[in-house]
Amino acid sequence: MKSKISRRDFLKLSGAGLATAGVLTGCGPTSRYVVRQPYSSMPEFGQTGVSTYYATTCRDCTAGCGIIVRTVEGRAIKAEGNPAHPVSRGKICQRALTAVQGLYNPDRITGPRRQARGGGSVEEIDWDQAVEVVGQALQGNAGSLAFLLGGTPDHLFDLVTELAEALGAPPPVRYSTLQMFEGRSTLIAATEAVYGTPAVPHFDMANSDVVFSFGANLLEEWLSPLAYTRQFRQFRQDAAGRRTGYLVTFEPRQSVTGGSSDLWVPVAPGSEGLVAAAIGRLAAEARGGGVPPAFAGVDVNAAAEASGVPVETLTRLAEMFATARQATALPGGNALGHANGLESAVAILTLNSLSAANPVSIIPVEEEASAPQGSLQAVQELVDRMRSGQVSTLFIHGVNPLFELPSSLGFAEALAQVPQVISFASFPDETALASDYILPDHTGLESFGYQRVQAADRPVLSAMQPVVVPLYNTRATADVLLAATQQAGAGLDYTDEVAFIQSRLRPLLDANDPDGLFRADEMPTFWAQFLQYGGWWTQSPRLEPAEASASGGSAIRPPEPLQSGQLHFIAYPNKLGDGSVANRPWIQETPDPMVTATWNSYLLIHPDTAAGLGVRTNDVVLVRSEHGELETSVYVYPAIRPDTVAMPFGQGHTELGRWAAGRGANPAVLFPPQANGAGDLAFADTRVTLSATGRRRPLALIESLDGVYGEGH
Amino acid sequence: MAQVTEQPRKWGMVIDLDLCTGCNACVTACAMENNIHYTGEDEVAYGRGLYWMRIQRYWHGEYPNVGPEFTPMLCQQCGEAPCEPVCPTYASVHSNEEQINLQVYNRCIGTRYCANNCPYHARVFNFFDYEIPAPMNAYLNPDVTVRSRGVMEKCTFCVHRLVHARIDADTQGDPSLENEVTTACAQACPTNAIMFGDLTDENSPIRTLFERSERGFQIMEELGTFPSITYLKGGGVYGGRD
Repeated sequence: MKSKISRRDFLKLSGAGLATAGVLTGCGPTSRYVVRQPYSSMPEFGQTGVSTYYATTCRDCTAGCGIIVRTVEGRAIKAEGNPAHPVSRGKICQRALTAVQGLYNPDRITGPRRQARGGGSVEEIDWDQAVEVVGQALQGNAGSLAFLLGGTPDHLFDLVTELAEALGAPPPVRYSTLQMFEGRSTLIAATEAVYGTPAVPHFDMANSDVVFSFGANLLEEWLSPLAYTRQFRQFRQDAAGRRTGYLVTFEPRQSVTGGSSDLWVPVAPGSEGLVAAAIGRLAAEARGGGVPPAFAGVDVNAAAEASGVPVETLTRLAEMFATARQATALPGGNALGHANGLESAVAILTLNSLSAANPVSIIPVEEEASAPQGSLQAVQELVDRMRSGQVSTLFIHGVNPLFELPSSLGFAEALAQVPQVISFASFPDETALASDYILPDHTGLESFGYQRVQAADRPVLSAMQPVVVPLYNTRATADVLLAATQQAGAGLDYTDEVAFIQSRLRPLLDANDPDGLFRADEMPTFWAQFLQYGGWWTQSPRLEPAEASASGGSAIRPPEPLQSGQLHFIAYPNKLGDGSVANRPWIQETPDPMVTATWNSYLLIHPDTAAGLGVRTNDVVLVRSEHGELETSVYVYPAIRPDTVAMPFGQGHTELGRWAAGRGANPAVLFPPQANGAGDLAFADTRVTLSATGRRRPLALIESLDGVYGEGH
Repeated sequence: MAQVTEQPRKWGMVIDLDLCTGCNACVTACAMENNIHYTGEDEVAYGRGLYWMRIQRYWHGEYPNVGPEFTPMLCQQCGEAPCEPVCPTYASVHSNEEQINLQVYNRCIGTRYCANNCPYHARVFNFFDYEIPAPMNAYLNPDVTVRSRGVMEKCTFCVHRLVHARIDADTQGDPSLENEVTTACAQACPTNAIMFGDLTDENSPIRTLFERSERGFQIMEELGTFPSITYLKGGGVYGGRD
């Protein structure tokens, strides 16, 4: 990784600089009020054949990676990583790469509309009518309003929080499937229990020589995949190109991270915390100097039995952990998605305190600590309010609850009890089509905003700006809400979205941090640089080593034994994330790294289990849990426990346009509605039975199956 | 068969298999850069997916000591390319400037001899006239030809970027501009497992790796194709650590 800004990068940033000239003169797509202009009056910088680059932030997960979008003659061509951005450092993943397929998706909602729920009549309205509808809703009983937002800590969340406060309405509820799958609420609660601060900790993987990952799929879908992949690279090889680092993954299904690890330990689902505690006890004994109280009560033999990991392996790994220069234990993913997830997370985090050098640090971010994290519990409370008729108007933005939430939670039935549902979706997803109004927001590449980055090594406020003029008759949700608030008379003192964002930048400008990326005396200059660089961050990392408090962890309940015929069922996110990007054809066409499958769902099953069931790859099976059932093709996967099956999340849309609808199956129908101790969904506690259907539905694989598990031509 | 001649540039690539996590970001980056059309589920299942780049995943070992081996596979830009002499229309030719293997789409008549002769399965055939529904065609890269039905396609080492960089270097009189060019896959690669550079440049970071890494090998080098891509062996122990 080059540390200096190369000339090429400099040119890109200069291009972004030209963009900010547009802000000052009001003629480019980033001007405050975006207007459509004919091609004959192309702005000066839009020369034919010359690219213009804009820095912005990817919105497709909550990591907040900085991207630079190349535009030519007013069209967004390709997203690339922002080399200066502390999260992505010039790199990029599939979701940001295909952002232009979201922007130019032919199935977008092109303007505000009133509609009959569940299809039927659609009536186009204009924005004045739309603002009036929102204004009237806001004028009603504030206690009966409800806001449901996605998990991103962005400007819209801040605005809605402020709006709800001004109106006296309940604070916005957040839900993000990706955060649920990584167990973010659980991680934050465990960090509070172990280190006394509710925050997303930063793990120094780069300088560790031993890393134990308990379910954290850091290379594919964890707190910040690109940032941790960069750490993985530094961990794997030193600057001189020598191999360093030893990565052990404890997970029932081998993930991409498991595939790149030095040792994959297939532990029984739900026993990850027990394994961590047993390793903690053995490591403390190997190191000498007493066993921490958190691990004192652990029965190593019982942990070995429950997890299926032999005591010898545990001892060997514990010695490795104890003798490492710096050892890191990462809690995440399906290790936390169990009923005992919080206790497991505490045990895994506590393991870090046995490392010779402390790998865990915390960036103190005051705002984030007070903001509620999206969790199943909060959604459950909202569903209860909706069901009992306490919600008169529900506003939904950035989340698709009918698709993402476990069906067993009863959101669909509760939604029917809400008299007025207003969706701000850009795409016709399941929830948008079950709403009374769709008031489409701009997509990420057409809008202003900022995002606080939670999992970076320094404070980062990442900037969003339009890279093209909005394609359709859409309007920023923040602008709609502000206009409606003014109409309702409960005015917030902002003229528009940009004024609100700038008001939130004001403390940064005033703080005048000497280590800040840039400084300015007044807002227009600060704003121009904020957009040009793609955000504001400090130039050096700002991490405070986390000091573990001595409190003992509570006992971890071992997982319930499987009943006869039952299998553990683990859903996991892959490139499709929370499923909102399933309408982008190149996301669908990009093969899954481990399976090489495209365009559909599949159930990963161990060869012996498949043989016992009499199914082969491409055979369709019926997967049934206590809460629902689905059908999907089987993929015989050698790297999964025989008592476990797994399935990627994100397919199974019934709506969302031509590339997503009617494709695959949605594992959310199988989830139990139970939460763990921190309020996160215990999705990994799902138990299923399988039965063969006798049908075959071939998967679109890149690999050939010839000669694999007896497959012929 | 085209002969390697002494020329000012020879572009090459080094792929470190120890750093490749198989994430497939390069595959998508290549597609978005090069206007590669998605083909849909049925065509991918028939093996007609238009992947200029793919990650080969092979399993090794038995449960529980099982794991994947990832090999990013793309056109190796052979010095002695087997695809070139079999083309009856000279659509598969060698470029003097970049020392890479080019595909000239408007010469190609779709005999597919080149794909049959390519030991790397790096070439894909465009079987149908694919159309991107408006307005999604707006993101097409103006620097890259949109191919039609009946032609063979393959990795170009992002030759449009190489040409742009050469023109920039010439017009601005600064040859160093050309050294900073990279391909879409290398640019995206989150671990920098893919490295791209000029093999004739003494200061290029990849030159030493390409020629002298103790882990370096070329795929099917026994065929004498002289690939422009060196892979660095992954896994195991190296570099003096045990």
